[in-house]
Amino acid sequence: MSITSDLIRGHTETIILAQLYNHDSYGYEINKEIQQRTKGKYELKEATLYSAFRRLEKAGLIDSYWGDENTGARRRYYKITESGKSNYHRLIKEWNSAKEMIDSLIKVEGV
Amino acid sequence: MMQERLRKYVDSLFKDVPLTKSIVELKEEMIQNLYEKYQDLLKSGKTEETAFNNVISGIGDVSSLIYDMDLTIKELSDTGIQKSAAFTSVAVMVYIFSLIPIILSLQYNRIFYGLVGFIAMIMLATGILIYNNLKKQKFYRTEETIVAEFKEWQTNKYDNKVLRISISFALWSIIAAIYFIVSFTTYAWSVSWIIFLAGIAIEALINVFLLIRR
Repeated sequence: MSITSDLIRGHTETIILAQLYNHDSYGYEINKEIQQRTKGKYELKEATLYSAFRRLEKAGLIDSYWGDENTGARRRYYKITESGKSNYHRLIKEWNSAKEMIDSLIKVEGV
Repeated sequence: MMQERLRKYVDSLFKDVPLTKSIVELKEEMIQNLYEKYQDLLKSGKTEETAFNNVISGIGDVSSLIYDMDLTIKELSDTGIQKSAAFTSVAVMVYIFSLIPIILSLQYNRIFYGLVGFIAMIMLATGILIYNNLKKQKFYRTEETIVAEFKEWQTNKYDNKVLRISISFALWSIIAAIYFIVSFTTYAWSVSWIIFLAGIAIEALINVFLLIRR
């Protein structure tokens, strides 16, 4: 589990960009989505999540804005930028080539 | 009230961190998300206590997050403070030494020159204080922080107070000196007290000027 967690954590930014690709979202919703997609096996720590948000925002890949919920609670929403979208495609390409390389490196004939 | 409990917990995580705008926003964001998670856990049948502990353990280590926020508040540079303090102490010294001409003049029976010397030194000392006040580096804000705003407001308030006290002190020393000079030279003691009335008028004018400038 811990190796899996470390592997996934290295891709936190790509994961967040993917969640935001089609619609704006906020911290808890993104984390809930991650939990659902991994069938409850993986969940980001709040600290990791917000660190990633700040880094992405600083790099201009996402923007943030405060929602105006009528319930009184205010969510901070994130929105992917054009630069964020093109970076997402680059990261996916990188991941795919890394995956291919690792697959070929760890393959043992006849096993 | 669970939201208050979460707020208290989050506050405790950030208790040593300066309250910058970005930190306040981060805390609000965290509390909101934690609260929604807490409510979902309740809906799934967890008890309040379990849900709270679950939410808390999901926060993780915030120290690296705080480090990422890049908090740097540059206050007044040390050299600026030292320079300003040096100017102030020189001014205070000149104020004290301004008594020397009077003491000397009393010994030689030349009170007029003593008072002239006294006025000159008082004016010099006040000049130094005012110059120091104008030149003094103000508290620059590097970040939109509530603390910095408060400090800026406080230093400005303090500076204005010092300025007013030193001007007032100089004014009344000079007026007293003029009163004695005029009285001793003209012997018009019955009229010379009008000088004090003039002093009150001048002080009022200075106060009005300072108010307008603000």
